[in-house]
Amino acid sequence: MFEVREDEPMYALLKAVEADQKNIFGNDIDLVKNSGQPEGVSLRINGDDGVGDNPNRYKQHGFHFTADNCIGCHACEAACSEKNDLPPHLSFRSVGYVEGGTYPNFTRMNISMACNHCDDPVCLKGCPTRAYTKHPEYGAVLQDPDICFGCGYCTWVCPYNAPQLDPVEGHVQKCNMCVDRLEVGLKPACVSACLGNALEFGVIESTPENREQKKTSIPGFPDPSITNPNIRFQQTKSMPRDFSRTDSAPIKYHKNDGTGTYKPMVDKKKIKNRQWNIKKLSSRENPLVIFTLSTQAAIGAFLIAFLGSFFGVESLQTLTASNIFVPFLFSLMGLQAFVLFLSTQHLGKPMRFYRGFNNLRHSPLSREALGVAMFLNFLVVVSVLSSLDHGFFNWIVAGTILNAISDIAPFDISMLASYIPVMTKIFSFLTVISGLICLYYMYCIYRIKARPFWNHWQVATSFFGTMFSVGGVLIGLVYIPLALILENSIVGLTSSLAAVIAFGLLLEAIGHIFHARDLQKNGGEGAASYALLASKFGNTYITRNVVLGISIITVIVLGSVQLPEAWQDLLLWAVLASVILLTSLVSRALFYIMVIPTTMPGAFFWKNKGFEEHARETGLAKMPQVGVLERDH
Amino acid sequence: MLFGRSKKNPIKIADKKVQEWKYTTCGYCSTGCSMEIGLNPEGKPVATRGVAGADVNRGKLCVKGIFEHELFDSAGRGEQPLYREKHFEEYKEVSWDSALDKMVDEIKTIQSKHGRDSFAIVSTGQIMTEEFYTLGKLARGVIGTNNYDGNTTLCMASAVSGYKRSFGSDGPPGCYDDFDNTECLMAFGSNLPEQHPIIYWRLKEALEKRKFPVIVVDPRVTMFAQFADIHLPITPGTDLVLLNSLAHVIFDEGLAEQDYIDSYTNGFEEFSKLVEEYDPVSASKICGIDEDTIRHVARLYANAGAAMSIWTMGINQSTHGSDGVAGINNLNLITGNIGKPGSTSLSITGQCNAMGTREWSSCSGLPGYRALENDQHRKEIAKFWNVDEDFFPPTRGMAMTDIFPAIETGQIKGLWLVATNPMTSMPNSARIGKTLEKLDFLVVQDSYRDVETTQYANMFLPGAVWAEKEGCFTNTERRVNLIKKVTEPHANSKADHWIFTNLAKRFERAEKMTFPETTAEIFLEMAELSKGEGRTLDISGMTHEKLLEQKGIQWPFREGDEKGDQRLYTDGKFQFPDGKAKLLAMPYIENNEKPCDDFPFWLNSGRVVEHFHTRTKTGKIGNMNKFSPTPYMEINPDAAEELGLENSQYVRLVSRRGDAVVMAQLTHRVPKNMVFIPFHFHDCVNRLSLGLLDPYSRQPAYKQASVRIEHIDQDVAAKLNVEMRAY
Repeated sequence: MFEVREDEPMYALLKAVEADQKNIFGNDIDLVKNSGQPEGVSLRINGDDGVGDNPNRYKQHGFHFTADNCIGCHACEAACSEKNDLPPHLSFRSVGYVEGGTYPNFTRMNISMACNHCDDPVCLKGCPTRAYTKHPEYGAVLQDPDICFGCGYCTWVCPYNAPQLDPVEGHVQKCNMCVDRLEVGLKPACVSACLGNALEFGVIESTPENREQKKTSIPGFPDPSITNPNIRFQQTKSMPRDFSRTDSAPIKYHKNDGTGTYKPMVDKKKIKNRQWNIKKLSSRENPLVIFTLSTQAAIGAFLIAFLGSFFGVESLQTLTASNIFVPFLFSLMGLQAFVLFLSTQHLGKPMRFYRGFNNLRHSPLSREALGVAMFLNFLVVVSVLSSLDHGFFNWIVAGTILNAISDIAPFDISMLASYIPVMTKIFSFLTVISGLICLYYMYCIYRIKARPFWNHWQVATSFFGTMFSVGGVLIGLVYIPLALILENSIVGLTSSLAAVIAFGLLLEAIGHIFHARDLQKNGGEGAASYALLASKFGNTYITRNVVLGISIITVIVLGSVQLPEAWQDLLLWAVLASVILLTSLVSRALFYIMVIPTTMPGAFFWKNKGFEEHARETGLAKMPQVGVLERDH
Repeated sequence: MLFGRSKKNPIKIADKKVQEWKYTTCGYCSTGCSMEIGLNPEGKPVATRGVAGADVNRGKLCVKGIFEHELFDSAGRGEQPLYREKHFEEYKEVSWDSALDKMVDEIKTIQSKHGRDSFAIVSTGQIMTEEFYTLGKLARGVIGTNNYDGNTTLCMASAVSGYKRSFGSDGPPGCYDDFDNTECLMAFGSNLPEQHPIIYWRLKEALEKRKFPVIVVDPRVTMFAQFADIHLPITPGTDLVLLNSLAHVIFDEGLAEQDYIDSYTNGFEEFSKLVEEYDPVSASKICGIDEDTIRHVARLYANAGAAMSIWTMGINQSTHGSDGVAGINNLNLITGNIGKPGSTSLSITGQCNAMGTREWSSCSGLPGYRALENDQHRKEIAKFWNVDEDFFPPTRGMAMTDIFPAIETGQIKGLWLVATNPMTSMPNSARIGKTLEKLDFLVVQDSYRDVETTQYANMFLPGAVWAEKEGCFTNTERRVNLIKKVTEPHANSKADHWIFTNLAKRFERAEKMTFPETTAEIFLEMAELSKGEGRTLDISGMTHEKLLEQKGIQWPFREGDEKGDQRLYTDGKFQFPDGKAKLLAMPYIENNEKPCDDFPFWLNSGRVVEHFHTRTKTGKIGNMNKFSPTPYMEINPDAAEELGLENSQYVRLVSRRGDAVVMAQLTHRVPKNMVFIPFHFHDCVNRLSLGLLDPYSRQPAYKQASVRIEHIDQDVAAKLNVEMRAY
């Protein structure tokens, strides 16, 4: 057990309080009742079998932060990092601030924030490896780095930036509520270290001594309805109408005079003139850009080819029946396997990739992973089956293997061969269905409330649009060159593909239009993302839009007219295909880099994305004591 | 509610495997926090915690203290003595013996050629009191130079001078416990939450129990100013005007404690005559605080049952630093607010042992608050040390800020810097660099090999840092506390007292004198020397064991005492021969470099909580340095808009002395005509600062100068910024 000193100061001791029945969100504070899990179980902290004698062990605990008092002295962060032995680039608790007013009537409000051990822990839900557990002891949401494979999805879904992805170790770590201290009746290290008497801790909904408020929010704090966080606030001093952030996020907070609450909105002062910033399109999420685009394209290519042929589109029937269909399938398979491998390389611990399926009950990531795996497996089956009755493979099968096996087989093998077309169809349907499931959950992954830029149906139009557009392009890219070499017919194929490509691009474009409109309308971090998109990447963004529009028209025109010479046709298609691929790449890259989470404001250096970027670009990050890792992945 | 796994894995929480906790006192600021360093089974310092039962910090530590165990093996520590004939040659590693022999030779050569005072010593507030005492004995009794001072001239000299001028002696008369008793607190140029977070916490604790008005005088809206009941955003350098005007109102409205004034002070008539000129209407035009507020504050302060004032560099580092301190003392004397619980003039000190050097280093005279100018004191010490009385000069020599100009013009040929970094801390850095180049011989004794002065030195002596040795510090409230040796000195570095003692042994003059080996023995010698009728600085009842037992003891603590005195002058008896304090009539003379057309901004400087002094310690500890890894300035957003500046953009600042490149942080903390720059960074604010000297304390006015802001190519600036950051 944690060592308690004889003269442990009063401020560090947890107070015995009568707990309420329900918290402000209507949830039971008694966690045994809530979880149905037994009392008296050891937390086995570092292998210690002891059970803490804290009388409120099974009550939900939480932080209480008196924003009026925080002096921004970093003692809480330091005490936390000291106790948890954290390197400079990580911190379980961080202090940022917002500022408002005019000299000398000026207010800086510091905000110290760690994990809020939420009633509805989105990290726990989102984690594909089940590294998270909410314990009935204190309601602590704890994460086990030994289970984690470092995908960082929890860092996306958490509105408070509590989970910390450590690129050096390749796993996530987070605030552990100092449960070792709680077990012996001590408050967490950060609370005990507080020098402004701002940070308190106890059973949730109990008001600390000398405090009178327990609000669920202060300016800069994300919407508590997302996770029902276990933090309460006191903030009684009058506040300026507008609060700005010192970090690079173009967000300010504006007071609603009616409710007194603050809403995030775009800080136009931080919006610069339109720029290109092409180089900055490349980010740590590059593998995901490739993975999502390729997966969508592979699913699309198969779906278009199979369903097109199934519903009697002549050119596609020619394709699926041709001897090129087998190499076509194997290409899709190879591509899918490759990008799947690539996506595991995006993990902090790639060797633990298999843990991705561990949370099918809650995590869209697990479900997506299963979807991809099923798609790939069914695709393998379809490819193998198809190779049994297609083109140049056919003779091997019919001529050699089947004969050889039929000699020793106790039944008529040729009977089996006649099932191949049916089997292929069944598995093809399964491939399509698993592909669609995969895409659906891929879409769900990004519907994150803490990331307003993503939390829009545009993600669906983009993903399914890409399925059609890049899927169509992929068919053309794989099939047409081979068909030309082998002198197979491609009659009607370009116009069929043009139709699906145009449909996909249109879907994508419609999504973009509504996305832009809704982001601006809804304000907050989403609007800030859009404002950055239209400024920092303004030229890139506008060019993307124009090119997308032109592509749609060109595809439709090119699909409906026949140029005098075939080579002219093909050349134009080749150019168009490259343009579509490039546009998709740019769109997807923007999709990842433009997101501004609802997380807490940072400080001027620490937790300031702008400074981190600057430190990496200039080489300041080479000094480890700057606290910015040289590479962010 | 969702709980996840019902079958749970064991929980892992970082375990540093601390096997033993060793008591020590924090080595950063002068708050004087007691702490324990945790050692793992290999004996490596791995953790720090506050000592719960210590009265000062009651278990708390600030960000610097929390990571203090990382100090011992941080980057840039000195490992071996280094020597080179000329400062432009490469250093070579040498043995301690040859280094010390060489050093003594050089001192003797310089002194024989140019006189005893041509070798100067500039010491610090960083080492232990016993070491200061030993250095003083060496400097005054053996080397015999009168140009011996500490870097406390850059921070506390004005407080010392003000205390001496008002009360007849140095020594802060109050204590932290005064927060629990006061009814009104006024802070001048002191940003407690950032500079002294633990002292702030003590104040906050007092305020939680019992609310009393807090008034903060500061041109910047610091956290403290923001939390104050009344914030007086004063015009830089004009505190004396405000203080005189407060006194004016107090006299004018009959709020003074006339009985106290009559019984315990001299100089009332002259003083009251002078402050007549400082009516709030006239004063408001100079100090920028409106007349109503001046009257309101004066009434509030004078009518409070007990009122106290604290101050830090906002007062000390100005051309009227000493006058400002005396002005605060005036205010407290006329309201009877000295020596009672909750009533005091308490200077909040900077360095961990600035008090120790003031008390025992002999920098400004002789040990134990004794003066060279006093025949009796010279006799006493000469006898005690077994030195010829005539060997002591009859008056004090140069202060640190006068030593450098004397090097520049050739009166001083050799310099020994002990744990101080004038390349970053002195005003007008460029001038200091050129000055150091003129020396025949420069020795730098420091814990850090990469301290910037080593670029100019001939010899580098690696000193043990903080808890690599045993000794004591005195804090702001006169509390002497013990630093236990936690770990062995890094590499071949040595404790400073070992260096002093071993140097002394090499001089013939020291043969008749004694230089004890251990700091505990040295302490006993100091305790003996502190005895005397009517002396405030009496530590005769203290020993290292007692200090540990009580976790720090305030002086006076006489032989046989159970507890140190919390306050000085409780009986109204001051340290002047007649026992009366002095009310000082001090006119304000406008001499600051004020903003003008060419240089339209006030240049202000100060601390940030995560750094200490010139960053040789904190610039290498990532968990602190990351909060401000690179220099910046605060600038008002309205001014920035006019200049076309954006947040986080680099700018070039230009003053009449030089230029500096910083990042702009847009904030309404500062007025439109001021920029604020943290003083910690090398080649930064002090390339710009003027540092006019206070006539009494010789302390530079760092916080009053003017600059202009120019645009700079962002890529060039970024590159420069990286190049200029060795740590």
